[in-house]
Amino acid sequence: MENKDKLQVRDLIIIGVFSALYFVFNMVGGMPFGMNPVLTFYQPMGSAFLSGIIFVFLIAKSPKKGTISILAIIMCILRLATGMHWAMAVGTLLTGIVAEFIAGSKNYKSKKMNMFSFGVFALGDIGTFLVYFIDPKSWSDAMIKKGTDITYIESMNAAAADWMIYVIIIGTFLVALISAWIGMKLLKKQFEKAGIV
Amino acid sequence: MKKESNAPFNPCTKIVLLFLCIIISSLLSSIELELIFVFIIALFCIINKKTKFALKGFLIYLVVYFVSILTVQYGSNTLRSLLMPFLGLVHKVYPVCMFSMLILSTTKVGEFLSAMGYAGVSKKITIPLAVMLRYIPTVREDWRYIKDSMYLRGISPSFFGFIKNPALTIECIYSPMIIMASKAADELTIASITRGIESPKKRTSIIEIRFDFHDVFALIAGVLITVLVIYRRFFL
Repeated sequence: MENKDKLQVRDLIIIGVFSALYFVFNMVGGMPFGMNPVLTFYQPMGSAFLSGIIFVFLIAKSPKKGTISILAIIMCILRLATGMHWAMAVGTLLTGIVAEFIAGSKNYKSKKMNMFSFGVFALGDIGTFLVYFIDPKSWSDAMIKKGTDITYIESMNAAAADWMIYVIIIGTFLVALISAWIGMKLLKKQFEKAGIV
Repeated sequence: MKKESNAPFNPCTKIVLLFLCIIISSLLSSIELELIFVFIIALFCIINKKTKFALKGFLIYLVVYFVSILTVQYGSNTLRSLLMPFLGLVHKVYPVCMFSMLILSTTKVGEFLSAMGYAGVSKKITIPLAVMLRYIPTVREDWRYIKDSMYLRGISPSFFGFIKNPALTIECIYSPMIIMASKAADELTIASITRGIESPKKRTSIIEIRFDFHDVFALIAGVLITVLVIYRRFFL
């Protein structure tokens, strides 16, 4: 028999199915925020809130090395293929690898570490804003050249104070933790008894 | 015996073109250029025998284009601030999304897998990717059923329903979704193991994946357009 700790075909298919769910929930959570220039900074929080449950369940279902990295790679490809900002895709990839190490340090079994791991993973979405806050002016220029309307950028600039980036990072992290915690509760209540995990 | 693929282009070609498309659309400087770019994509759709999709995609973009020009020129401030963020998002993602949808509708899973295997991409990436692409439409279908049954129980699957009763709403949405997903994953696993996906040997395919003259031509055209756009953006 093959090594049980390695990813089998079953795990790969589970990752595929759940990354579809992850993507859909991520989109649904982020959409209402992304369209509004003032609320756009809260978009990672919306995404994190809806998708954390899926993430927790995926780790519970396939607690093996590589699960989170593959999820991150797929999300990165999808972000690029739907025309998002490149920093979002790269951010997802990087935080995915970090999250892999965090969850892996306790063999993907520790609830606290898994929650923490999703907190880090959700931070990948803020890549765009990091680029924005490091250099707001050139970011605005690039977005305007790309076809975003100038009023969008202006109202975004008006809504963005310097402290915003800390609010985004800490807020997203906390929301992700809450979401993962809800996921754990749900897991315990609904699925562990039913034998689905 | 080898069967010839229906789609005229090699999946690898399409993926390289998608990559070029991402670069181009992130460098385009005005919506006029973007209109031209969408037109080129529509042409490519027609070459792929997707005339209806090409017409639809181009017409929708045309409408979006005129609406945005009209709002910029004649709209009042409130109308602009209401519509522009939305239109801006559409402009930002439209070309790439159109191209991705074209690829999705013209590439079969088998073709995709064998082309990726041919290009040397690890199975660990291609299998989840292929499963995911086919599962997204199912998620939409499942959601419709879940919504119906939630109404039946008198729970509203909207934002206000969530505010009124968060725990119950979360449970009612996620539990069936996750259970359906894990059932689907199990079934897919059984089906694919039956078809011998675990075999360590190189798989053969009845569909012949070829790298033809028109692939080369499409790639050259794509690279030329990219170079042109980069040149316009940085050196003019």
